[in-house]
Amino acid sequence: MSQDTRRKILKAAVAASALSAVPFISARAQSKAIRIGIPTAITGGYALLGSQAQRTCRLVQKMVNAKGGVIGRPVEFLYQDTAGDPAAAVRKSQELVERDGCRILTGVIVSSEAAAMLPKLEEWNALFISHGNGDGRLTAELYVPRFFRANTSAPMGARALALYLRDTPQKKFMAIASDAAWGRSSNKAFEEQIKKVGKDLVDQVFAPVANKDYSPYITKIMQSGAEGCYVALQGDEARAFYSQAQQYKLPQRVQFYTEIVAQADIKVLGKDAIGLMGSSRYPITYDIPENKTFLEAFRKEHPNELPDWTDGEMYQALMVLFAGIEKAKSDEPMKIVAAMEDLEVTSVKGPIKMRKCDHQGENQGFVVKVAQNKNFSEPVGEIVKIYPREQITPDCRKSSYST
Amino acid sequence: MIRFGIVAIVGALVPFAVPQYALTVIVAALIFGLFAMSLDLMVGYCRLFSFGHAAAYGLGAYSAGLILIHWKLPLLIGIALAVGITVLVAIPIAWICTRSTGVSFAMLTLAFAQLGYAMLFRFRDFTGGSDGIAGIPRPPGPFGMDWFQARNGYYFLVLGCLLGSYLLCRAIVRSPFGAVLAGIRENEAKTVALGYNTRAYKITTVVLSYGFGGLAGALYAGFAGYASPELFFWLTSGHVLVMVVVGGAGTLVGPILGAVFFVFLEHQLSQVTDLWPLAFGAIFMAFVLLAPQGIWGFLARVRKDSNAAA
Amino acid sequence: MDFVSFALTQCLSALSQAAILFFVACGLTLIFGIMRVVNFAHGVIFMLGAYVGYTAARISGSFIAALIVAPIVVGIAGIAFERLLLRHIYGRREGGSDLLLTFGLAVVLSELIRLAWGAQPLSLPAPEPLLGALFILGQPFPVYRVFLIALGVVAGIGVWQFLERTRAGLLIRAVSQNPEMVHALGVDVGLVRSGVFGLGCAMAALGGVLAAPLLTAFLGMGTNIVIDAFVIVIIGGMGSFLGSVIGSVLVAFVQVIGTYYFAELALAFMYLLMLAVLIVRPGGLLGKEE
Repeated sequence: MSQDTRRKILKAAVAASALSAVPFISARAQSKAIRIGIPTAITGGYALLGSQAQRTCRLVQKMVNAKGGVIGRPVEFLYQDTAGDPAAAVRKSQELVERDGCRILTGVIVSSEAAAMLPKLEEWNALFISHGNGDGRLTAELYVPRFFRANTSAPMGARALALYLRDTPQKKFMAIASDAAWGRSSNKAFEEQIKKVGKDLVDQVFAPVANKDYSPYITKIMQSGAEGCYVALQGDEARAFYSQAQQYKLPQRVQFYTEIVAQADIKVLGKDAIGLMGSSRYPITYDIPENKTFLEAFRKEHPNELPDWTDGEMYQALMVLFAGIEKAKSDEPMKIVAAMEDLEVTSVKGPIKMRKCDHQGENQGFVVKVAQNKNFSEPVGEIVKIYPREQITPDCRKSSYST
Repeated sequence: MIRFGIVAIVGALVPFAVPQYALTVIVAALIFGLFAMSLDLMVGYCRLFSFGHAAAYGLGAYSAGLILIHWKLPLLIGIALAVGITVLVAIPIAWICTRSTGVSFAMLTLAFAQLGYAMLFRFRDFTGGSDGIAGIPRPPGPFGMDWFQARNGYYFLVLGCLLGSYLLCRAIVRSPFGAVLAGIRENEAKTVALGYNTRAYKITTVVLSYGFGGLAGALYAGFAGYASPELFFWLTSGHVLVMVVVGGAGTLVGPILGAVFFVFLEHQLSQVTDLWPLAFGAIFMAFVLLAPQGIWGFLARVRKDSNAAA
Repeated sequence: MDFVSFALTQCLSALSQAAILFFVACGLTLIFGIMRVVNFAHGVIFMLGAYVGYTAARISGSFIAALIVAPIVVGIAGIAFERLLLRHIYGRREGGSDLLLTFGLAVVLSELIRLAWGAQPLSLPAPEPLLGALFILGQPFPVYRVFLIALGVVAGIGVWQFLERTRAGLLIRAVSQNPEMVHALGVDVGLVRSGVFGLGCAMAALGGVLAAPLLTAFLGMGTNIVIDAFVIVIIGGMGSFLGSVIGSVLVAFVQVIGTYYFAELALAFMYLLMLAVLIVRPGGLLGKEE
């Protein structure tokens, strides 16, 4: 193309880019709706979890607004992409609060994003309710009043498993965990718990995030003589590990116990996943009316999908939030905080109480085993044991258990 | 100099013209601008392509963060110390890397940055591992100063550092030192033949470059209140290199524009569409094909053309 | 498990890892050797291979089909990219153009893959006969990994012979040393470049298909391997085929052994190795000084 044409295109591009700065100055009009900001991972490595969070928010918006909304007002969700990066999470959350008028935030995917946001909540005067952040410290060392965690934390997941293992004949265990914050937290909790129930933790290994080749770890597990192995890996890491372990026929010698049972992974792994046991943050087969309602609505909206743990936990978190707003009769953050303290709600995981002392939701613990189930087209985690809330939730402002 | 003055005045007025949340993105853009300009010293003025400049950024950020959290020194002192630490660490790095040239040099810088990344995980008790360090404060002082604790105040701090660094860098490249760098860039063999110890000049340039990069990192730590391993990761090095090339290497101003463009573009596009990475990547490819001299080069040509036409 | 069987299985694991790394690194070094282009997008091309392979396997029901179709499709796409866009930046005075262009490509291609295949991971399992485990001195070892080693060796020999014995290989080596002379001899250097870029992409894509049964196909699977590939190419010497072989083996061993014994430092080992090599031989083991 000629020099002239080039120049014209470039000038237009520069002008367009300059104009693109203009939206800075726009402001969204005041609205009757209750605005909830969702700074989530739309692109990047966590995009799958972010897409799940979004789809459940959309489903809930439909369901709730059809019934007249919350305190008579419709709910509106605003989505921003953080790509799983803590610095971006802080920036986008700030914009959601200051530019878009969101007083409530949820849907954050990565624990380190949440950790970066917590110190800013007071400055923003915003409420943050976690649907899926697992790091124990968020309601312990890092506690702030405007943060609530409705979901099962990583220590709670480990606790359920440890209680289950107390009653099994296996004596020697190994652990493999992701070197990320939640993995270490989960592993630490498991280590403490497994020793308390009198079992032997023979060895623990930490795989760097995004590790590809698990053969050295698989070898270690084989060599250790362990009968069971705790797996605190997630998503890509977990799938790579299970695929490779299956190739070494490891699951036939060692029973795997996982801290997170993800339907997306089960779907991909197919028969490689059958027999896997784990702590489930959302037991899809839980037979209570609230879960039935959710499942029906979800499957109607997404006929070829099953809800994953993110979906179930997101739904529960929103139900808790709305109950808090109804009780407070306001969407003012500190009023909702006061209303949610010691609030009891029954949702898809059964009864949950948002404990006042540290804002951790007291959840029941579920241990599941992956199997084919006639009600579902994919293998799912079938409930093997349910543990009551008091046994699962850690001591106040701690990630540990004194009992 | 007049142009510089105008920019400084406009810069000073910005916080009063835009909404508060917009200031956050602007400060981020300015910090990246400083980071990109620091890389330009190496890339544009000495033709030393680095794939590891994130090391300077990360070092500055973590040093500042740890000093501010554990020793609670005043912010300005913490930043100054962080720059000092970055410069000290840069000296052996520069010495080793300048033993090679071209892509080997680039890969050596990458090696150091990735080593830094790995070290963060190794010493996780100290550095927080994959969590990073959160809650970095902005302690007041010395002399009880605390204007930088507010959002506007911090903006002025960053703006001041950027403008000051620019003047310093400009002075450097216009000095006799800079003339030797130009000689190394154009024809190193000849410069050596003229009796210059080009290796020493290269090492100095790299160290200066890391120093300014460390300043950017330290400012970032105070700005975000948070430092994480991504700051050391090779993607960060890649992004800043892209900013330099898009803006126009070897111009000091170009990379600053490139950084601002990069940050604003990413921000705006991600508001508009979920497909923003697509547009983002396509725009960069368009730059390569249509404006090889970068934004600054393009603007310079436009000005020259309009002067010629007049 | 006694030491001998342990050492043997560790070596075999490392070699299987080296095979995949070799496919990616070899492509990268050929591209750099011929075109002096730093291909930032090489990891995404690896990922594209896995995804295309997934679709090919889904449609045909055969893993072999994936192994054949993916490299061909991705290779052709690579040639198209080279002819349409990349060739405009050869010989540019301003450095960094290749970096920007391939960086842009990496971003655009990742996004296109996400749009076409979605965010959820995809399963591309190895075929039935390869799913078992051999028993080596009493320890189970996956047949699939043995297959990887075998394929790596065959491909390595194949490429080597191609470069040494065929006319095309001769042209490639000549162009990497002195393009002007080759052009003066009447050869279409542009064609050679396109061909090499396509070959490099095809090899990376093949690596992707082979890696999929170990990792599942997912977004971001190329991010780390591209850096590993760069390190291998630097260690081996940019543009050196044999260097990429040696580099792959070295890096794989360092990673596997390092991970096993010094898990905390595993990340760092590869870079320490590269540092050590570059300090002693700045051009890489078999490279030429720049």
